[in-house]
Amino acid sequence: MLGFTKGLKYTLKNLTKEKVTYNYPDVPMEMPDRFRGIQKFYPEKCIVCNQCANICPTDCITLTGKKHPDPDKKGKIIDTYDINFEICILCDLCTEVCPTEAIIMTNNFELAEYSRDELFKDLQWLDENDTNKRKENKT
Amino acid sequence: MIDQMLAASPNLMNTFLFFTIAAAFLMVILGFVTYAILAERKVLGFMQMRVGPNRVGGRWGLLQTVADVLKLLIKEDTIPKLADRPLFILAPVLAFTPAFLVLVVIPFSENLKFADLGIGLLYYIAISGITTIGILTAGWASNNKYALLGGMRSAAQMISYEIPLVMSVIGVVLLTGSLNLNEIVAAQENWAFIFIQPVAFIIFLIASIAELNRTPFDLPEAESELVAGYHVEFSGFRWAFFMLAEYVYLFAMASLTTVLFLGGWQPIPFLGFIPGIVWFALKFILIVFIMIWIRGTLPRLRADQLMSFGWKVLLPLALANIFLTAIIKELINSF
Repeated sequence: MLGFTKGLKYTLKNLTKEKVTYNYPDVPMEMPDRFRGIQKFYPEKCIVCNQCANICPTDCITLTGKKHPDPDKKGKIIDTYDINFEICILCDLCTEVCPTEAIIMTNNFELAEYSRDELFKDLQWLDENDTNKRKENKT
Repeated sequence: MIDQMLAASPNLMNTFLFFTIAAAFLMVILGFVTYAILAERKVLGFMQMRVGPNRVGGRWGLLQTVADVLKLLIKEDTIPKLADRPLFILAPVLAFTPAFLVLVVIPFSENLKFADLGIGLLYYIAISGITTIGILTAGWASNNKYALLGGMRSAAQMISYEIPLVMSVIGVVLLTGSLNLNEIVAAQENWAFIFIQPVAFIIFLIASIAELNRTPFDLPEAESELVAGYHVEFSGFRWAFFMLAEYVYLFAMASLTTVLFLGGWQPIPFLGFIPGIVWFALKFILIVFIMIWIRGTLPRLRADQLMSFGWKVLLPLALANIFLTAIIKELINSF
């Protein structure tokens, strides 16, 4: 009998307690800073070392470089940079390996699209994806 | 007004008037059902620390049930090939009609009442028993073993709990000396029967929850552990009718509890200036809330616990209550 009333009291108290659910699609979700979200790419920092494409376990990164337009300078600059998010597992290895931090993780995670083609993100898209960047990579 | 109409000679005009009043009342009931379901989901949500429906119809989900019902109404009407077709069609009607019929005897306020039957309480209990047949018919007509078992189970439950329900009410009837619900309300002018007959009230509340097939006595449906019960094969508006019957019974049962034990439209002392219908509504809402509250708190009983609780606890208690009431009434009368 006592347990019965105890339960009733508990549920009555719950009425005014703060809700544990998120109002997610209306209010954006805050992810912790070590969250592995969609990458942000800085074309000007990239030295076309190809390490990200090599380390990628799913081979989802394809990149091409071209000669530096200034003939006095050595090295290459990036020409195209694509990540295929159909197969990307957001493992964080490309950002770990990048010597210049030209590719970093963000906290964005919404990748739902109506077509598979739209999951193929190019250099421009990855450059524009510059919200919620991982704080320790901020430059 | 209704009394005059009931006494008037039958003609086309009166028939039309009765039809209009009944249709208007049905609309009120449907409105109640719509928002009772929403309120139930909201209260349950709040009790479980979530918000409940909040997408359709603004922040409070005011159109959620409307959308749900609309979806049910435009759903394909399926009847299993091997089902007993006439009975299958008849079953939802059999289950719902008594739920609406019993409302005719409930006095909502001094003036707002439909039929002033001398045997109002008996009428309510007798008519509400028909729903059991509807449920059993649904279980049988589906030609499905789960539906049949579910139908049997709910028939057993409803019959078992109808007995303590009726027995608990006899105490009230003994004190009033009438089965007329208006007179029962009038007898509670000074003290509501909840104070004079607390045991009867508790038995009545428990038995009515069991009658309504609500948690913790919702074995006929048992959403989370069984394949639905008697209405497995029903979908679309036929299924909606069973749900509708259930919630109309919630309305009827909460009204009856208000009338029998909380003094109906009688005001609390010194607050008589508030109209009776408001008092009725407040008490009614309190009862509905308690039912939802209990649903949000208690786990489901096992089938054998359910039966033994009904027969071994509630029934003897109700009988003892009748004897005690009768003895005390005789003693008071003799002095």
